[in-house]
Amino acid sequence: METQSEEQAVTKPADSGGEGGPPQVAGAQGARPEDRMTLLLRLRAQTKQQLLEYKAMVDANEEKTPEQIMQEKQIEAKIEELENEVEEAKIAFEMKKLALDRMQLSTALKKHLEKTDIKTSVLMDNMKQILNLNKLIMKSQQETRDLEEKLLDVRKKRLQLKQASERKLLEIQTEKNKQKEDLDSMENSDKIKTIQQNLETEIQITTVIQNVFQNLILGSKVNWAEDPALKETVLQLEKNLTMI
Amino acid sequence: MSALRPLDKLPGLNTATILLVGTEDALLQQLADSMLKEDCTSELKVHLARSLPLPCSVNRPRIDLIVFVVNLHSKHSLQNVEESLCHLDAAFFLGKVTFLATGAGRDSHCSIHRNTVVRLAHTYRSPLLFCDLEIEDFRATMAQRLVRLLQICAGHVPGVSALNLLSLLRGSENPSLEDL
Repeated sequence: METQSEEQAVTKPADSGGEGGPPQVAGAQGARPEDRMTLLLRLRAQTKQQLLEYKAMVDANEEKTPEQIMQEKQIEAKIEELENEVEEAKIAFEMKKLALDRMQLSTALKKHLEKTDIKTSVLMDNMKQILNLNKLIMKSQQETRDLEEKLLDVRKKRLQLKQASERKLLEIQTEKNKQKEDLDSMENSDKIKTIQQNLETEIQITTVIQNVFQNLILGSKVNWAEDPALKETVLQLEKNLTMI
Repeated sequence: MSALRPLDKLPGLNTATILLVGTEDALLQQLADSMLKEDCTSELKVHLARSLPLPCSVNRPRIDLIVFVVNLHSKHSLQNVEESLCHLDAAFFLGKVTFLATGAGRDSHCSIHRNTVVRLAHTYRSPLLFCDLEIEDFRATMAQRLVRLLQICAGHVPGVSALNLLSLLRGSENPSLEDL
């Protein structure tokens, strides 16, 4: 469905004095000849530029556009490629223009220098100043580079030290783990178990003997608090052997 | 109603025509007035349209620059612009189309995210300008910029073409696009 859209046109004639459209110029012909000249030159430059654009379009249209349907990603990639090509062409042109300008400048400079007296020329003073500044710049750049290298060396050393300390810590940790493992394994070995069992039986036997002696002494109704040797024996019998 | 083509007519002598497309009539009219107030050596013609395609019946000069005005406060204007873009010949996008987003100043009223418009401009490889058209000073500055753009697109500036300008404008945009 096509919608009819409204359109409004607003126009304004150019307001700078004397630079109206050609019909107006015809009327003011004799009055300001310089303005007319500039107008004509400007129009000439305009027309040249517009002609250039049309020519470029004609050349561009002669190239065939690929008709196959490409995926959007490919189209984007292709567009970026083409844009890069445009940029490169522009850069190359600018470089060439720069080189040309420099060549022209140097020939003009050479001719000027051949004419003027070298000792008093302001140009020579400028050149000498430029050379001095350039030497200064190169020196400071060299210093910067040296400092940066030193910084880099220090950083490398720090990295190496860090790595060495990391390795040492790792070794310490593995040693600790090994020790713990050995301890655990030792605890679980059979020898310890048998020893532990023997110990337990011995403790039990001793406890029984202790209790027997205690009951013997208490049962004989002897006053064991009076005799220090007996008192010591009884108190010794109170010792709980499982706590050892 | 065929698609609008950029170079199918001969240019008028010393004339540059700009077409402003957008749903906000008042803003477009104000922008047009600001542009016409600008000092310019070429004759300026400003055409306003709500949407493309334009009616064939009108005899109009060659259009040098199309500015699509998107109001960030209304989704309708974005839709309108997207629909109008289909009616343009591909050759227009070689520098003769610009997007203008207005209303970014009042963030609370914005229903369209800034990135949407940025992506739209990136898809069509055209420059995107931001301007609050309601504020007089910004409008005047934008009018100056548009007049300058128009002169370049109409070929009135020797040595700079629309395509050249496009690649120049692109250079400053790229850093932000990488964040998308």
